Amino acid sequence: MDNKKCIGIFSLLILMLLASFALASLAGGSELKAQDAAYYLFHPNSSGIERDIIWKIRLPRVILGMLVGAGLASCGAVFQGLLRNPLAEPYTLGVSGGAALGVSLGVMFGIGGIYIPVFAFCGSALSILLVYSIACRKRFSNPTLILGGVILSFLFSSLVFFIFSVSRAEDVHGIILWLMGDLSSTSAPLIKIISFFILPAIVLLFFFSRDINILTLGDEKAFHLGVNSRQVKKIIFIIASFITGACVAASGIIGFVGLIVPHFMRKIVGVNHRLLLPASVLAGAVFLVLCDAAARVIIRPLELPVGVITGILGGVFFLSFLLKAKHWDIF
Amino acid sequence: MEILKVDNLSCGYEDNIVVDDVSFSVKAGDFLGIIGPNGAGKTTLFRAISRILKPRQGNIFYKGRDVGCISTRDFAQEVAVIPQILEVPFAFSVEEFVLMGRFPHVDRFEALKKADYAILENVLDFTDSAPLRKRKINELSGGERQRVILAQGFAQKPHLLLLDEPTAHLDIAHQAHILDLLKRLNKETNLTVIIVLHDLNLASSYCDRLILLGGGRIFKEGAPQDVLTYQNIEEVYKTVVVVRENPISRKPYVILVSEEERKIKEKKCKKGQD
Repeated sequence: MDNKKCIGIFSLLILMLLASFALASLAGGSELKAQDAAYYLFHPNSSGIERDIIWKIRLPRVILGMLVGAGLASCGAVFQGLLRNPLAEPYTLGVSGGAALGVSLGVMFGIGGIYIPVFAFCGSALSILLVYSIACRKRFSNPTLILGGVILSFLFSSLVFFIFSVSRAEDVHGIILWLMGDLSSTSAPLIKIISFFILPAIVLLFFFSRDINILTLGDEKAFHLGVNSRQVKKIIFIIASFITGACVAASGIIGFVGLIVPHFMRKIVGVNHRLLLPASVLAGAVFLVLCDAAARVIIRPLELPVGVITGILGGVFFLSFLLKAKHWDIF
Repeated sequence: MEILKVDNLSCGYEDNIVVDDVSFSVKAGDFLGIIGPNGAGKTTLFRAISRILKPRQGNIFYKGRDVGCISTRDFAQEVAVIPQILEVPFAFSVEEFVLMGRFPHVDRFEALKKADYAILENVLDFTDSAPLRKRKINELSGGERQRVILAQGFAQKPHLLLLDEPTAHLDIAHQAHILDLLKRLNKETNLTVIIVLHDLNLASSYCDRLILLGGGRIFKEGAPQDVLTYQNIEEVYKTVVVVRENPISRKPYVILVSEEERKIKEKKCKKGQD
């Protein structure tokens, strides 16, 4: 891809990010008019309920959406490249099951509330690392890894249902709400903590993008080109598990972003991870923020969980793309 | 100068010893061919030299250092390996793919430099791949693809090049082209080449020295005319061949004899005796 086209695409992505930021902070469930919202957006020192809606509810939510979208999309791109498998993404690697189990355990033992994100983080990060270590024993063949993830997911969801069946109905309801994934339970400290995890980790991943390119040629060729496959894969896996864990902790389970965003961006910027990774980060942020805005306005004044929107929008969009494409190379 | 030394090497998979007590050494600038029947241990030996397989016994030294003690990156700066099969599931452009050869020479936090791009141009020209530069690697023909894979190896600027049957599945023109490129680089830059070949006639035409493996051991080592005799080949390959001299290069030329022709010939001989 030549430089001009590349600069064009990235400028467009950045513009879209700004546009979706504006759109999402102006649109919402309350009766607040867009002009007023814009006024308060540019006058943070004013006072009143409207100002608080913008600065304490909408903006944190938009920022969190961007962080989580960027994190999930970058992890998806990395896992697909590393495992040379188009199905790889945090959720096919057993993350959702792990997170659900972590949260359910927490709720069952009555340690819910503000500790839920901690349980979610531990559950999801640990399940990815568990899948990884299962696959390591089998000398890390890539199909094993996906298989391990799928099996672990089943195992975890069975355990979750077991916990459901012995818990009180209110607890179960709480867990299910959390599992559907939404960005509304945002607090400023949580966002600070999450961005502290996600942003540096994404930057770090970027510095491994050349390694990921080479690892797509298989472990042996990568070794011949000077990549210490085992060690590098382990490092990348740990970083990506961290990002995933942080995303899940902040927003529950939001599927599909990690799967489809990298596939779309591959069609646009190509397969070089030095471009694909930043492009997926930007596109993931745009996608999730727009989905969340839609979730807030579709059945106003009620709200849909954003996971429902990403699932429906993403699934339909992706399928139609898949059916329209003349010939579909997975990568 | 001795660039590679294999010392009493034995290796294999699990309980199965495939390469058994093999020793040889390679001088800088050598063009060494490894030949032998299927299952003789060619690829296993290759995998041991390219450090994929750990020696069960014995050692391999690169420029006097045990290869097990050289870091992955340092080794890749000096030794390029072209495996028999390379799957490229992602649609990289030829340029992107060839530039991966510069990986061991570039720091993680560094961008590619002008010198790296100069090397890219150089190897694309050398392998006649420049017109392919924007194409996707998985859209190339077999011959084009192999040239591009070779270009990536050249971009590593290796001192030693290891190849496992780089000409398998290619037509004769592409076979000659690939081996001509290797030969030219060998002569012009003193690049040391170790190549596993199935085709005995290609081995005879291009290699200065051959190692004939049989049953995991070195059966015969030396110049093509010493190794490719009909006695050696018939004993190792268990098949009947005729060896003649190539009229142009004066190197041995191996001709296969089919069972049918052999029987006809045998009958004629018997009649002649009667």
